[in-house]
Amino acid sequence: MGDTDAYSFSLTTFAPNGKLLQIEHALAAVGNGSTSVGIKAANGVVIATEKKAGSSLIEVSTLEYVVKVCDTIGMVYSGMGPDFRVIVNAARKSAQKYRRIYMEDPPVRILVKEMASIMQEFTQSGGVRPFGISLLLVGVDERGPSLYQVDPSGSYFPWKATAIGKNMINAKTFLEKRFNGDMELEDAVHTAILTLKEGFEGQMTETSIDVGIIGGLGVEGGAKPTFQCLSPAEIKDYLSNIA
Amino acid sequence: MDFAQLQQAPTSVPTEHHSHGNRWDPYVDNGGTSLAIAGDDFVVVASDTRQSNGYSINSRYSPKAFKLSNDCVLATTGYHADALKLVEHIEQRAQLYFHKHDRAMSVSAMAQMLSGILYSKRFFPYYVFPILSGLDVNGKGAVFTYDPVGNMERVNYQAYGSASALVQPFLDSQVGFKNQRNADPNRLLEQPQALKLAIDAFTGATERDIHTGDWLDLFIIDRDGIRQMKRELKHD
Repeated sequence: MGDTDAYSFSLTTFAPNGKLLQIEHALAAVGNGSTSVGIKAANGVVIATEKKAGSSLIEVSTLEYVVKVCDTIGMVYSGMGPDFRVIVNAARKSAQKYRRIYMEDPPVRILVKEMASIMQEFTQSGGVRPFGISLLLVGVDERGPSLYQVDPSGSYFPWKATAIGKNMINAKTFLEKRFNGDMELEDAVHTAILTLKEGFEGQMTETSIDVGIIGGLGVEGGAKPTFQCLSPAEIKDYLSNIA
Repeated sequence: MDFAQLQQAPTSVPTEHHSHGNRWDPYVDNGGTSLAIAGDDFVVVASDTRQSNGYSINSRYSPKAFKLSNDCVLATTGYHADALKLVEHIEQRAQLYFHKHDRAMSVSAMAQMLSGILYSKRFFPYYVFPILSGLDVNGKGAVFTYDPVGNMERVNYQAYGSASALVQPFLDSQVGFKNQRNADPNRLLEQPQALKLAIDAFTGATERDIHTGDWLDLFIIDRDGIRQMKRELKHD
């Protein structure tokens, strides 16, 4: 046990200027990742991300960036893929644990707090490093549609619309101009794809982006909205409406 | 082989037989009866208040139906000490939920949670027979019934306790319209009717069950909140 005791202290320590450098570096890792956007519409939410394969030989259709956590919650990330997989598993497990106790899906903000708590733990535990991802968590619950960002530090922010990753600054500027609170989900999807297109290198096709939505027309009718990843065919439809 | 010799020889080590009848019993049955009747937009919950131990009366007024902070009522029978602890536990969980979610727990969420709480003590159960009542998310009366280890079922009415064998068949007949031709089994009662039946069930039960009587705690849950009433029952 002697050797492992050597890492019982936290590797994330304060710098004299009050910053946690490890978290700053983690945010840099996020900034190197593919851009992701999220937009909250009046009747739903959309998230989307670039699905850039490193080589033309990669089987792009099997890459999963936008994931379903439970029926009413989905998420996407920017940053390190492997770290995202860990959080996805934790989120799915947390949602099922909640269901087992309350027979209901957790409200989005509850799941957000759980993930934020996990990510914060990894900034204050021995022998671990912070997660190199920022999350965009979306869902519909009794308060309506919501969009949250969770950072490596464990901070979380509710957004009307936002972007994370490589092109986040330009993307957010673009969103500030385009966003309005009365948008329907269809328009929000359209806007999300346009936002990604702004920073997209090369030709955007239905297999080079991942899009997920929850909500839409059924919501007013009382139908329970479920989170769905759009199929390439559905994405193709949206792309055809863009020049 | 000498079989006669074999029959006389012992085939196992002689053991002593200890009767364990004098062992201390962690449980006590405090008697009493509880019921709940659900309507389309209300629930009537009724519990008598006599607490007993065998042929002795511990208290003539020991409430065993409890209003919870999420506008639900938990009616109990069985071991009152366990009932008190169970209610304490549920209420604590309800408060935690409220502070975390910024809203009260729905009756169905609490129902599922209660099932888990009961089962968590599967191997040293709460000796309580809970009936959880409230309005569901659609505003309709909801009654959830449990066994002591958490088996849960949503029903339209239920009676538990020392007079359950008297009250439950009465409810089956007058609330569930069981075994009646041309009766609509899905028909729910109106509030005044349900209240009358609940009170009549208890006056009847008080007559014949020695453990039921003294006072009746009544709770009426509807969209305006929870009204609580008390009625006297025979003290004999």
